[in-house]
Amino acid sequence: MTSTLDRPDLAVPAPKRPATRERLTWRQRLGRFDVKASPYAYISPFFVLFGLTGLFPLVYTLVVSVHEWELLQGQGEFVGLENFANVLQDRFFWNSIFNTLSIFLLSTVPQIAMALVIAAVLDQALKARTFWRMSVLLPYVVTPVAVALIFSSMFNEADGLANNLVGLLGIEPIQWKHDTLASHIAIATMVNWRWTGYNALILLAAMQAVPRDLHESAAIDGAGTARRFFSITIPSIRPTLIFVIITATIGGLQIFAEPKLFDVSSAGGIGGYDRQFQTTVLYLWEMAFFRQNFGEAAAIAWLLFLLIVGIGLINFFISKRIATAEGRVIKKRTAKRLATKEVGK
Amino acid sequence: MKLSRRTTAAAALAGAAAISLVATGCSSNSGGGDGETIELTITTFGTFGYEDLYTEYEEANPNIDIVANNIDTGGNARTDLFTKLGAGSGVSDIVAIEEGWLGAIMEVSDQFVDLTEHGIEERAGDWVDWKYEQATDPEGRVIGYGTDIGPEGLCYNGAAFEAAGLPTDRDEVAELFGGEDATWERYFELGQQYTDATGKAWYDHSGFVWNAMVNQLEEGYYTSDGELNVDGNAELRERFDQLAEATTNGQSAAQTAWDWNGGKSFVDGTFATFVCPGWMLGVVQGQLEAGGGGPDTGWDFADVFPGGAANWGGAFLSIPTSSEHPEEAAALADWLTQPEQQVKQSAAAGNFPSTLEAQEELAANPTPNEVFNDAPTGQILASRAEGVVAQYKGPDDSIIQENVFGPALQALDRGEADGDTAWQEALDLLVELEVE
Amino acid sequence: MTGITDARAFPLRPAKRKGGDAGNAGIGSKPGFLSYGILLAVLLGSAYPLWWSFVVGSGTNATRAETFPLIPGGNFFANASQVLGAIPFWQALGNSLIVSSIITVSVVTFSTLAGYAFAKLRFRGRDGLMIFVIATMAIPTQLGIIPLFIVMRELGWTGELGAVIVPTLVTAFGVFFMRQYLVDVIPDELIEAARVDGANQIRTFINVAIPAARPAMAILALFTFMMAWTDYLWPLIVLDPTNPTLQTALGQLQSGYYVDYSIVLAGAILSTIPLLILFIVAGRQLISGIMQGAVKG
Repeated sequence: MTSTLDRPDLAVPAPKRPATRERLTWRQRLGRFDVKASPYAYISPFFVLFGLTGLFPLVYTLVVSVHEWELLQGQGEFVGLENFANVLQDRFFWNSIFNTLSIFLLSTVPQIAMALVIAAVLDQALKARTFWRMSVLLPYVVTPVAVALIFSSMFNEADGLANNLVGLLGIEPIQWKHDTLASHIAIATMVNWRWTGYNALILLAAMQAVPRDLHESAAIDGAGTARRFFSITIPSIRPTLIFVIITATIGGLQIFAEPKLFDVSSAGGIGGYDRQFQTTVLYLWEMAFFRQNFGEAAAIAWLLFLLIVGIGLINFFISKRIATAEGRVIKKRTAKRLATKEVGK
Repeated sequence: MKLSRRTTAAAALAGAAAISLVATGCSSNSGGGDGETIELTITTFGTFGYEDLYTEYEEANPNIDIVANNIDTGGNARTDLFTKLGAGSGVSDIVAIEEGWLGAIMEVSDQFVDLTEHGIEERAGDWVDWKYEQATDPEGRVIGYGTDIGPEGLCYNGAAFEAAGLPTDRDEVAELFGGEDATWERYFELGQQYTDATGKAWYDHSGFVWNAMVNQLEEGYYTSDGELNVDGNAELRERFDQLAEATTNGQSAAQTAWDWNGGKSFVDGTFATFVCPGWMLGVVQGQLEAGGGGPDTGWDFADVFPGGAANWGGAFLSIPTSSEHPEEAAALADWLTQPEQQVKQSAAAGNFPSTLEAQEELAANPTPNEVFNDAPTGQILASRAEGVVAQYKGPDDSIIQENVFGPALQALDRGEADGDTAWQEALDLLVELEVE
Repeated sequence: MTGITDARAFPLRPAKRKGGDAGNAGIGSKPGFLSYGILLAVLLGSAYPLWWSFVVGSGTNATRAETFPLIPGGNFFANASQVLGAIPFWQALGNSLIVSSIITVSVVTFSTLAGYAFAKLRFRGRDGLMIFVIATMAIPTQLGIIPLFIVMRELGWTGELGAVIVPTLVTAFGVFFMRQYLVDVIPDELIEAARVDGANQIRTFINVAIPAARPAMAILALFTFMMAWTDYLWPLIVLDPTNPTLQTALGQLQSGYYVDYSIVLAGAILSTIPLLILFIVAGRQLISGIMQGAVKG
């Protein structure tokens, strides 16, 4: 994402100073003040508000995390890194990390794969194009809470729609709310349902930016649809693809509403009786408001932050390498094709 | 650039927002416009049966407007209340507190109004003595009006009993289980017969049976002087093993509490018995309705309980010090817990009153409860209440029940653990959840 | 406040757009049976869960157990009125509109101001500050819930809508988004010309920047609104059931002692109707917004 910063900067050149250091008129001085001060005036509302609502909590979380701090009793003794040590030794914390990553993988991989296929299908001269695009996007208008209500009902173990359909295939009812893997699949299904179409549209936008010449020349070369999809479309939209993966990661690591509402009746809505689908954010909620331990909850918040930054960095470096390598390949290919086919610009 | 379309969308949003601002602006005005009307908020949980009483009170007191909120389970109500106490606002004027987590509330009892300032002392003799004592904190402040208590009887499914060749008449059933001398041993023995004969489960899930087994002990998870007493508690362990054996042998239906498959498990004969504190009768009724069943599903209520008299749950109405109308709130809570109202509440929700007068009333006037095969549930509960002793509830009692033994027993129910590993799991959880 | 910085809201990615949106053809210019078959399957997958909710929500609790119910029952209004009795639906709807609208206006306004300054004005510390803004985009909003909760308690704001609105009045993402858009879209000559005409900075902003920024502002507004509208965690913590947003009220619906799924699902449908109407009316704009956001940057 930061790569965009390197773009040529087209900022207004600084106003030239008057050649002679004469006394400026009142109006000129006001004008200079205007030029100098305005940028700060424009950015200051953002920074003031952001400092209060974004930065201050960040620092304060750190303060809370090194103290004994209870919901009702408030600030207690300074305990150093004890809260962090406790959390890191807590099997429920690691359980929540495992669940988060598992749900994240189960939602991201099929989601991106399906989004790619749908985008490729939409990237054609379709009849009723807008209708199909809208049908793909429809789930996006259903909020995660509503999605959770709908799907937790569908995934009811004894007689929900999912098990009824599974039953038609002659398969035993699946323990969607008790079994670890099944519950992860169910929650991933909610995420996938809501986001696949949305991501498909983003990928579609990227696909439409791929030069048509590439497809045409490949088609003339005799490359089939599937081959062109893998050798032209996918490489060309790779930056967008990686972006979609990164955003899905950030979103996926913060899942809360779906596991919170998937099975409210057991154990106070903390993600299953055995925490089998408790995500880290849900664990953070449990620690803070169910177990009322703000100190450890703050430590969880920081560890989650580090995890997201860590995965973000991994993503970034991988994507940067792939993007540059791919960029070179594409450029070469394009140049070659354009040269051989003598297709003018 | 198709500028116009996007701006249309933005304009649509802005327009909708403007309308909503106007709309809500109006409604909030009308709410607080009349200076004499006092709005009292009340938060209950489970099945309280208060709806008609609210209406009655509002009619008698036109200046009072009751805004009621009900939370599904006592456990969720606990989280809700503590979050709001932590937030320092948002606690209703009257809030229902469950006996199971009264211990935790007692640690912050100064956040609740001392009801002796509102004359509760004069009513001390109304309640069974232990109920009033439970609501008294170490400093002698009384922080709750007792609503109901939870004497336990045995719910059983007559149709299922008949199919298994067991007696169905409720007196015979009481006799079958041993009458006054009913034991858990006998209960599980009959359960094994039933399970072996029918291939079906005896009870819905181990957690509730366990609650009943623990709650009837003189001392439960804590000693009477407040010490945690689980690890190395031979009496608890013995009972746990009893339960574990029965569950391992297929007597548990491994149901999810408070869900029971949308009530259907109560209708389709998934299990044959169910431990029933008074307030649970309303829950069963609701489950039957949700599951599409009626009185014909065969549920009945017997005047017997394994292991003798037991109390599970019961609630109090408390007023947080943050209430802006403590006077009016106290008046309402006082009224709601008067014997007369408790009788009505019992009729609506099936729970059992905590005032002596109301109890006598129920005992003297047996009213058939049509959901339970016309059993005189009130009268039976009065009988079940005899000999109930209050058990000391520690600060984390409800946590131990729901989050320590809950998961351990679920694992047992689902065949993922045997008795030993489940017990060990509970002990581990006890440490890990930093229970005090 | 959570979710608002969810990067998904602003899928910007620089991509070189060539050729128009219309009449293009990707891998196969003539979509065949297979393509329409896939689309039909996707349509069913997208729409059936909603339709199923409506069918169950207009039926009884028993409808849920049917294998593949297709025909709605006649109880929708009865169930909907039960929803209205169980949760303060209209109040929650109003609250959600207020919260989402104020957040949207604030985020768009301040993002445009700051984005314009970062994109087009020269000032000391600009690049450093911009890198700072980008770096903070990775901060998960959940990180702040504990201190924010403590602060809201101190301020006595818990239970008030302000507690939901204030933490999200600005987002780093909004600034980044506007900056990326404006850096290319406003020619420097235009600003220079305005200056030569004697316009001061604020007039230049109003007369030059805002008209140019309008499309991006609309996109940012759309997604900020969606994010504020769908947020659940923070309102759940800081509001109470007597003054909920639509999402927290909806969450409560499932916590009835006996869950009647037909009522829960009627509530899910009822709560979706406002956005559904918006989607039908402005779906085309939403789609082009998402696709514009994806391409523009």
